[in-house]
Amino acid sequence: MNKIFVAATLTALFLSSCSSDDDMTTTPTDTGVIAPTTYVFQRGGESTVSFGGQTTRILMAGEFVSALKDNTNSQSTLDAMFTHIEGNADFSNADLNASGKNIRSKVAASKDYFSANITVSNEIKADFDAWIAEQANEVFPNWAGTASAGVAGQLQQLNGGSTRYVTAKGLELNQAVAKGFIGGLMTDQMLNNYLSTSVLDEGANAANNNNGVLEEGEIYTSMEHKWDEAYGYLYGAELDPSFPVLGADSFLNTYLNQVDSNSNFSGTANAVFEAFKLGRAAIVAKNYTVRDAQAQIIREHISKVSAVRAVHYLQGGKTKIAEGDMAAAFHQLSEGFGFIYSLQFTRKPNTDSPYFSHDEVQAYVAELMAGNGFWDVSDATLDTISEEIATRFNFSVAQAAN
Amino acid sequence: MFKKITSVFILVLSIVACSSSDDATSGSGSSADGFNRQSMLINWADTIIIPVYQDLNSQLAGLVTAKNTFNAEPNQVNLDAFRASWLNAYKVWQYAEMFDIGQAETINYYSQMNIYPASVIEIENNIASGTYDLSHPNNQDAVGFPALDYMLYGVGASSDMDILAIYTTNANADKYRNHVSDLVEQMKTLTQSVLTNWTSVYRDQFVGSTANTATSSTNKLTNDFIFYYEKGLRANKIGIPAGVFSTNPLPTKTEAFYRGDVSKELALTALDAVQDFFNGKAYKSNATGASFKQYLQYLNTVKNGEDLDVIINNQINVARTNIQGLNANFTEQITSNNAQMTDAYNELQKVVVLIKLDMVQSMNIRVDYVDADGD
Repeated sequence: MNKIFVAATLTALFLSSCSSDDDMTTTPTDTGVIAPTTYVFQRGGESTVSFGGQTTRILMAGEFVSALKDNTNSQSTLDAMFTHIEGNADFSNADLNASGKNIRSKVAASKDYFSANITVSNEIKADFDAWIAEQANEVFPNWAGTASAGVAGQLQQLNGGSTRYVTAKGLELNQAVAKGFIGGLMTDQMLNNYLSTSVLDEGANAANNNNGVLEEGEIYTSMEHKWDEAYGYLYGAELDPSFPVLGADSFLNTYLNQVDSNSNFSGTANAVFEAFKLGRAAIVAKNYTVRDAQAQIIREHISKVSAVRAVHYLQGGKTKIAEGDMAAAFHQLSEGFGFIYSLQFTRKPNTDSPYFSHDEVQAYVAELMAGNGFWDVSDATLDTISEEIATRFNFSVAQAAN
Repeated sequence: MFKKITSVFILVLSIVACSSSDDATSGSGSSADGFNRQSMLINWADTIIIPVYQDLNSQLAGLVTAKNTFNAEPNQVNLDAFRASWLNAYKVWQYAEMFDIGQAETINYYSQMNIYPASVIEIENNIASGTYDLSHPNNQDAVGFPALDYMLYGVGASSDMDILAIYTTNANADKYRNHVSDLVEQMKTLTQSVLTNWTSVYRDQFVGSTANTATSSTNKLTNDFIFYYEKGLRANKIGIPAGVFSTNPLPTKTEAFYRGDVSKELALTALDAVQDFFNGKAYKSNATGASFKQYLQYLNTVKNGEDLDVIINNQINVARTNIQGLNANFTEQITSNNAQMTDAYNELQKVVVLIKLDMVQSMNIRVDYVDADGD
């Protein structure tokens, strides 16, 4: 009880500091650091912003999630995409094929959470591996069959709606994977790696940034680049990443937009963008107090994306079950499942911990997948989980369900 | 993970250190914080580093003898003696690998002694051709202890009989005998040169370099120590074979892969070496002297209300307990239960943060390399 109260108080403090930060663009008086209107930072007239690796991984994830809905793919094809090796023709985009990066190596791989937690990191990676295998080996072979409790297959939403392809437990694995990436890849890398002092200030980064020492052969300092890499996991698929319009991918970028579109959470997207700009300007200004305060703002809001969407979809699923539209219900519950999974990668501002631990998330997963899974999940279960998430993030179930 | 070692500009962290003129190579030996670094350098050189090299050098002399005996008469008894001598030397090597400074650094000593896994193709090519430059960079994975591991346990498929046949009845038996001889002699020669350099000239240079610059002895050896812990011990012995840096575990990348059942023993020895060095414990003795531990105590470095030197020793002990619980053969451990292996890795990793961040910050020493593991 005490803890919840403290957390709530902290969050409240944070919210108030956020709102003042939103105005920072025009009132630089307290720190002297001014955020530019757009995410444009230059040195000698040349842009110092670079996050090609993040764009690459977002695009890889996009193609990969699409491939999970193509029942002609084999497990080995899917695995090859997930663990892409430089030069292999796993993707339709030649640039992706030429890249030495892959998705899997950055799943559950942040410095803060996993550098001394490899066993759990491996368990999480193994979850994704298992979802991929199950999609290829259980769902794909039953692509044309009708799903029922305990039987994988397809179900069409009412009134001639979309067809959903689910496991024997009613789980749409492509949704589990896609929404799981929002936490396991994007959120984790952003909040627990690139925005962390352990990465921003690693080695001589601070001294080099103070003295304008650039990375070898590059036009940016390491610290600038780390911050930009965090930025890239959110905005890397934007047409013009310096001025994001959101909705640019199927991942964090789009779901930040969704949360922001809910009037109860409007302003979230702007707060994140402003914090990113101000934090980056603070790095240029060598003001690491302002920088770190922006990181905390981003952590709070980005963490909230998974929480709000988790509750939203659990409640949406509950409604659809009541309407007897199981296909639509499974679709929403599967998205919710992925967002719940993502909660373990969130980051409570000013702490080293997620809002929900790995074990707590595992317990939710077990509860949702018990017995025949979504076929017999109870309203009480969906409501209890929704309430617990909403309470911890200090919003209401009704606000998120909106 | 360590694909790019970025050398960085050197700056003195604190204003105190900036303002003091601490760049003399002589004088009191005290650093800006008042700790007598020279006493630590002397303890390191005289009670740890040189005694380690002396022991290693004598172990390798024993290895030369064992090799000669074996080559004169390649039988089971002599093979066993050769192998035992190899393992003894390999264990002493675990104490030496971290001292990549002076002559060792100049000649890339470590890279000629313990790069594994050994390349069987390169070793066999060298044997077949009979002409090779063992000190050539291309041969770094075809020399040293890992190459001997292959020569003593890996050639000839399945049994000791097969291995002995390689050195006796095989058509190229003389080439194998020559090669195993060259490998051992090379290790002895390199080690002798590093030891002689220490005892003739380098020891005094080393202990006289008391400043706090990137090239000062304390700074360099501290970096060597941390780098060794992170790369040579944590990554090479545990992390890489456990698949921490790859998609899948790589169980054939263990140390002493062909012998098999000593990877745990070698890792534990290396951990002892690290802890002894941290504590300034004289080699093969219980005497202790000036050290990282004393330095931290002198600075009264506390983390979360606890003495940092105690935290570090405790965490090393936790890691040791974890490693002790593993299969003697890491290859088997990884294959049967890799989670136990990664658990041990996790405990080793926790020490990295303590020494690479907390310890060096309080000593005002800059880490001169970073993991360039970004995008």
